[in-house]
Amino acid sequence: MITASGITKTYKQRGNMLGARAVPALRGVDFTIPKGGAVTFIGESGCGKTTLGRIVAGLETYDSGDIVIDGTPMSTLKHRHRQPFFRRIQLIHQDPYSALNPTRTIHQTLAAPLALRAKQTGRDSAWMDERARELLALVGIDPGYVLPRYPHQLSGGMRQRVVIARALTVDPEVLVADESVSMIDVSLRLGVLSLLKDLRERLDVSVLFITHDIATARYIGGDGELYVIYRGMVVESGPTESVISGPVHPYTQALLSAIPVLHGVELPGPDRVVPTEALDESHADSGCLFARRCPFVTAECEAAVPALVSDGAQAHACYHPQRRSVIPVEALA
Amino acid sequence: MTRTSAPGVRVDDLTVVYKTPAGELPALGGVSLSLAPGTITGIVGESGSGKSTLALSLLNAVQSPGRIKNGTVEIDGLGNIVELKGEDLRKARGRQVGYVFQAAQNSLNPLKTVGKQLLDLGRSHDFDDLPALLKDARSLLGRMGLDGGRVLDSYQHELSGGMRQRVGIMLALVLNAHLVVLDEPTTALDMITQAAILRIVREVHHERGLTTLIVTHDMGVAAEVTDSLAVMYGGRVVEHGPTTEVLGAPRHPYTKGLIRAIPRLSGDIDGATALPGRPPTLGTIPLQGCVFRERCPMRIAVCDTVDPVPVTRDARTVACHAVGRLATPVVPKEYA
Amino acid sequence: MTVVEGMPPTTVTLRRNFWRGVGRVMRRKPSRMVGVGIVLVFVFMGIFGPLLYPNPLPRDDNALYASPSWAHPFGTDFEGTDVLALVVTGTRYVLLAGLTTAVITVALGTVIGLLAGFHRGRWDTVLMRLTDLQLTIPGLPLLLVLSTVWKFTSPIEMGVVLGLLGWGGIARAVRSQSLSLRERGFIEAAKGLGLSTRHIIGRELLPSMAPYIAMNMLIAVTGAIYAQVGLFFLGVLPFDANNWGVMLNLSVFGGGALSSTAALPYLLAPLLAILLLTLGIVLVVDAMDEIFNPRLREE
Repeated sequence: MITASGITKTYKQRGNMLGARAVPALRGVDFTIPKGGAVTFIGESGCGKTTLGRIVAGLETYDSGDIVIDGTPMSTLKHRHRQPFFRRIQLIHQDPYSALNPTRTIHQTLAAPLALRAKQTGRDSAWMDERARELLALVGIDPGYVLPRYPHQLSGGMRQRVVIARALTVDPEVLVADESVSMIDVSLRLGVLSLLKDLRERLDVSVLFITHDIATARYIGGDGELYVIYRGMVVESGPTESVISGPVHPYTQALLSAIPVLHGVELPGPDRVVPTEALDESHADSGCLFARRCPFVTAECEAAVPALVSDGAQAHACYHPQRRSVIPVEALA
Repeated sequence: MTRTSAPGVRVDDLTVVYKTPAGELPALGGVSLSLAPGTITGIVGESGSGKSTLALSLLNAVQSPGRIKNGTVEIDGLGNIVELKGEDLRKARGRQVGYVFQAAQNSLNPLKTVGKQLLDLGRSHDFDDLPALLKDARSLLGRMGLDGGRVLDSYQHELSGGMRQRVGIMLALVLNAHLVVLDEPTTALDMITQAAILRIVREVHHERGLTTLIVTHDMGVAAEVTDSLAVMYGGRVVEHGPTTEVLGAPRHPYTKGLIRAIPRLSGDIDGATALPGRPPTLGTIPLQGCVFRERCPMRIAVCDTVDPVPVTRDARTVACHAVGRLATPVVPKEYA
Repeated sequence: MTVVEGMPPTTVTLRRNFWRGVGRVMRRKPSRMVGVGIVLVFVFMGIFGPLLYPNPLPRDDNALYASPSWAHPFGTDFEGTDVLALVVTGTRYVLLAGLTTAVITVALGTVIGLLAGFHRGRWDTVLMRLTDLQLTIPGLPLLLVLSTVWKFTSPIEMGVVLGLLGWGGIARAVRSQSLSLRERGFIEAAKGLGLSTRHIIGRELLPSMAPYIAMNMLIAVTGAIYAQVGLFFLGVLPFDANNWGVMLNLSVFGGGALSSTAALPYLLAPLLAILLLTLGIVLVVDAMDEIFNPRLREE
């Protein structure tokens, strides 16, 4: 189990001679990834969700807050002692093209981490070969075909499966999937998604799914928790199905309203919410971060930042929470 | 000869081949498709389906090593664009056919302001009244919810992805083209920005009386804005018809599979099922028989040898042996 | 494409596939084969050239500055020594010095560039200041000064000095390459999997930069050839060594090759040798990108 509390991260943007401008990417994010569970973060690009994934995977540092991995707070460890913990959390990159070394065959790509594993557990090279085949079979590709090949000889879907197999070589507890299917052909996408879903059940790995595509989030983590993140802050969270069907924060509603409607199959939701302005990072930070774009804004919203409060199952950071039905409804039902 | 009304477009038996070490391979294999005046048509397909090649053909802009081998593209008021050359072709691009390129976000010149690029565009098309052009551009940008003056004075890096996409649309429309082609207009944009751009496309389409073609890999995008939808696979249009009908009652097994593979926000999560196999690339498109047969659940013997002819029935075109069998006998093209 | 069904590829088969790919790349353009041919001829001359002729080379006092003939295809020099023999026996010095320079520039440049680019931070600052320092050393004046105390009779010595004066550019280029590569997914994944830094730099980063480094190495060879020949030509270095540059110097300043035709073959022969060797290397460089990229290698 992994618990993160109060994670903040600020990037320094190189400014003029008078000094650098601080750009907050995360403003105190808390969440828990239970064993075998699914946690989803959704938001627009630049909302900090990618940074969050990289921090959880140990590829980026954070300014304050703490990450507790299986009971060990990372803040108590020196940097170089954290690696074995973060190795249990593997990031699946968005781009399967750059995630595999073009100069190495799939066999070489898998052999390196497996050799490390074999050394740790005192196994031999026969085990490595067997394990490589086992893992490739697990992710649904033919080891005999794939092993001697270079990444460029494989399709996008296959490449992403190889990336997943490579992550599994170190027996991780959590897979962080950051927009992991957005660059894969539409007809192959669902295959990779159902693989991730399958791995949750078969290997009991948890999935931290980071995306802007809420429907795929529902497909993988329909039974898990959903966090809606906006400009580095969680504005709404709760069980995935209940947030999707009954969002209370206007930003969540705007995100869900923006999903294209399959006309002919679906009807648009009756209360669709459209933001009044486009995302602008330079908007004031004093009140609710969404106030400038919110169609339901009041004076209160601009005074102070609303806190994330729970109403039982769902939590939201809004002064005027109201359930709206915004997602498309089945037309034929 | 600038038109003020929406032109119709008829693509007939268009074949585009790419020269490779393995010989000339067809990216488009005899595609026929018509765009009714004043409608928004969507082309959906995966990578390698030939959708971008088809879009480029409307400009007669297929790049080497590709070439148009056969077929015609008739555009009202312009004639067969395949036969246009040199200056005539250059003038037609922009004036009659506006094109918003894939990744329009990155197709602006980083060293020049948007306004400068607009003036360059005007001059290269011999516009005398440049102030009027600027005024048009400002009002178009204003229409799309941007501060026109500020945007024209900006460099590419000062604009967000959604703003650049709008600038791309403005540049395609400002010369008063009435046929507009948008290639993947919303890739790499966020959901909310995507929704805004699609809304703008639809509104501007109606206000200016355009014929619009949208090329996308995203069924949702096509569903949201188009009136008519063509599904492409392996260099063929396998299904074409009114959007709501194609989505609501797909006939071609590929369209059916594609729609079933889209995860949805409501209903049974496990209702989505993956399509087996993978899309063909230029080199693996079968030269004989149906291009989809390897992945098809309705495959029959004739699929291996005969490329199905598109059959049109009640405004819907489907190219599939099995579908033809079930409903009516295979109708040769001449009778369609 | 070879399909190895069932068995994962062993290192041996991988290596065999690699060389087969190299052969394919080379055959793709006739110019590359020509380049390889030229380079091989020079390598042959470098290794066996001195063995083909007696040492010292015979002189023919009756044929000073002789015109080209069957006996002397490029004529003779001021002592009546065959010019062709001089060119052939001079190859070893030129190639050895060039090779030493290339090995040193590439080794130093790559290691320093990789360390700086991969570790960034303090490493980067220190190593890059060192590189800047190297880049600001004025090479020619320093060589002039050095030559007053050092005779450079051995090509290795020559190569070492040229190498120590020339690694800065490659270090900077390799650093910028590794800075961009370290952001790539596969490097991050390797870090996330806990693979050793040695593995990441040696097995993941280095092969991706191999075409780049190989190209720089070959360009460094040509640069070193020009530099040493130039130094000898200028007469900065003593004439103890048998070198193409010495020939150039003697033909121009001793034989008056620029004003009379008698010594012209004596001038043209080493020039032609330099030209051919450079051409051979340039033609081979053309293939580097395709050799190290598995995708280009196969098509």
